Amino acid sequence: MSKHKVSYFFNPDVGNFHYGTGHPMKPHRLSVIHSLIMNYGLHKKMQIYRPYKASAHDMCRFHSDEYIDFLQKVTPQNIQAYTKHLSHYNVGDDCPVFYGLFDFCSMYTGASLEGAMKLNNNDCDIAINWSGGLHHAKKFEASGFCYVNDIVIAILELLKHHPRVLYIDIDVHHGDGVQEAFYLTDRVMTVSFHKYGNYFFPGTGDMYEIGAESGRYYSVNVPLKEGIDDASYWQVFKPVISAVMEFYQPTAIVLQCGADSLAMDRLGCFSLSTKGHGECVKFVKSLNVPTLVVGGGGYTLRNVARCWTYETSLLVDEQISNELPFTEYLEFFAPDFTLHPEVVTRQENANSKHYLEAITKFTFDNLKMCQHSPSVQMHDVPGPALTEDEKMKEEDDPDVRISQDLEDKMVEAKNEFYDGDKDNDKEDVKT
Amino acid sequence: MEQVVAPQKDGKDTESPMKDKLFDPSIDMLVNDFDDERTLEEEEALAAGEFQDPDAELSSLQKESNMPLEELLALYGYRGENQENESPEEEKEEEEPQQHSPEMSEPIEEQESEPSPPEEPSKLSALYEPMPETDQDESRLLRSVSRVSEEEEEDYDYSPDEEDWRKVNKTIMVGSDYQAQIPEGLCHYDDALPYENEDKLLWDPSVMLCSEVEDFLKKASAITKPPIPTGTQLRDDEQALYLLQQCGHNVEEALRRLRMTVPANPSETMNESLWSEEECRNFESGVRCYGKNFHKIQQDKVRTRSVGELVQFYYLWKKSERHDIFANKARLEKKKYALHPGLTDFMDRFLEDQDSRDRSSSPNVPCGGNGKPPPDT
Repeated sequence: MSKHKVSYFFNPDVGNFHYGTGHPMKPHRLSVIHSLIMNYGLHKKMQIYRPYKASAHDMCRFHSDEYIDFLQKVTPQNIQAYTKHLSHYNVGDDCPVFYGLFDFCSMYTGASLEGAMKLNNNDCDIAINWSGGLHHAKKFEASGFCYVNDIVIAILELLKHHPRVLYIDIDVHHGDGVQEAFYLTDRVMTVSFHKYGNYFFPGTGDMYEIGAESGRYYSVNVPLKEGIDDASYWQVFKPVISAVMEFYQPTAIVLQCGADSLAMDRLGCFSLSTKGHGECVKFVKSLNVPTLVVGGGGYTLRNVARCWTYETSLLVDEQISNELPFTEYLEFFAPDFTLHPEVVTRQENANSKHYLEAITKFTFDNLKMCQHSPSVQMHDVPGPALTEDEKMKEEDDPDVRISQDLEDKMVEAKNEFYDGDKDNDKEDVKT
Repeated sequence: MEQVVAPQKDGKDTESPMKDKLFDPSIDMLVNDFDDERTLEEEEALAAGEFQDPDAELSSLQKESNMPLEELLALYGYRGENQENESPEEEKEEEEPQQHSPEMSEPIEEQESEPSPPEEPSKLSALYEPMPETDQDESRLLRSVSRVSEEEEEDYDYSPDEEDWRKVNKTIMVGSDYQAQIPEGLCHYDDALPYENEDKLLWDPSVMLCSEVEDFLKKASAITKPPIPTGTQLRDDEQALYLLQQCGHNVEEALRRLRMTVPANPSETMNESLWSEEECRNFESGVRCYGKNFHKIQQDKVRTRSVGELVQFYYLWKKSERHDIFANKARLEKKKYALHPGLTDFMDRFLEDQDSRDRSSSPNVPCGGNGKPPPDT
């Protein structure tokens, strides 16, 4: 029996921040999740890291120096002195200046960055950082409760080692920050499933946003309507990701598991159950590609905690009971005290079968262009793509674990291959 | 830097997907469908807005009575989920020109002229440039927020301002100010990770058999006697596991050291040491004064704890009996202030009127003076 080696990155202080009265983003959800993970006995199944805290220098791998400098200096006390900067960097309302802001950013960013490094180093197959996933942050500004884009920084780290990184985003909001950061490159494919339309935040994520220049066809957007349920979501998620795997053949994956796509989320409008949400995670895991799993949105605290706890259990292949263990936070889960409460839907599913089929087809057609697009030499390079082992793996039943032997070979093969092809890849980047 | 509208197939403009006839009918239809949906929501939101304006509701009902049958059917039969309905968009705009649809994007200070929503966005929103926020959207938003469960009730005052600047962020931007710089080529780490000395491996599951670990944890919990009953599940003890690893996975040695360390920090495993009654009372008084400004509470009330500890305590406290008593008391006070219309933030008022810095007037909670931390059940 072979298991994925799972590493878990958690800073015990990351949950002890507060965005301010009435703000829906509650970092303390991370403490609740950690408590559940401990009490379910999942901790001992994983490599546990107390992660490194990212420095301003790390953050500047993506963000501008001035912006990070501002984040480092601004506090609720001196905010008056920064009035001009606030609007310039879009800090204030959605993204308030709260006590310990920069510390918070360096904790969640450090954890994602370190996860990427462990993956690069083959120290693990799956790295989990529930505190990360702040996908809206832009190079020069904060956005949608996100200040530093830990995902972009982690992907930049993965790109040191991986020719092609796939980013999958199942947050209810479009992963605009990550998409924008990699809009012009074919070395990162971003795939986002989200609510789109009616000016739902952030307003981007139309299916016609497909990337530009070398990155044309390497941004994939699956706009969905409100009320989507497990079955409908699966109807698009599985075929789209399968096609992406086929056409893009990533060597590493970053999965953003925003839990605001769950039913009853305070800001979201989808109707997924924790199980339906978890199916996506399970599926990505079954692809057997080194994966960094990060959190993201999720504004109904108890459901976020349920969801990411359950997904942790899926990632370590451990069955956990529906009855929640006793924790200091048990009261949050009243009245049912279960892991998978019944889903109460607020909305009708506005996604017709026809709509979902059409959007899937549109995505397929664009993915096919990846191959034919002249700007993409990536695939001319005869493949880092499919090694013999990977082929075998793909034909395997995804539910059956591959042998440790095979897995080891996979990992090695990948490295050996790129050793030789390094120069080719360099060319790709320049074009 | 160029501002680029997301490129579409054949360079069409994103803003007019409906006019894009180059796509096959299914996509086209899907986009139209899409637009329908938006209209519907606006109408729903409008309906919610009318709730505050009986005249508008009346007029819309009247309008409906004059509506051709097909339209009515389309409204009620075609979409089951649609409740209170409105006439199609064009008519709506004629009727209520001030409530223009979001597609019209010139900024207007109309928010002021319209009935202001019951909950004000925070004052920081003044920093933003005026946005073409329509009232429909706002009311829709508030309505959806009002549907949240009691647990989030405390956050009633939040109306996401995300929508304020959605226009600004509607396009993906292209240029060096926006994209990340992609590292060229691939490289390998040397033997050491760049930051290796700064992270800390606390546990590695691959060294010992799971059953051995569980056995160890059972013995460890017998020693540490965690304050929370373990129930049927065996709780992972982070500290104990770390200790085990530090002892080279020697169970006996780890248990021996554990016994030695236990009296020193009995509640460390909970990651929270016990709060004294005084700290609890000061905390509550702080919440009264400053709401959830934990930094201020820390500065003025509970200097013995870090801001982080206060945040943690808050979440445990808010589900405790102690909090219920606190909240009941607060509710009583709130009634008193019902005579002061226009004041929305109850906590602030509470503060202003009552000299809450006066310790004697604060906690007043008949909590029996127990020095226990909030009950965890």
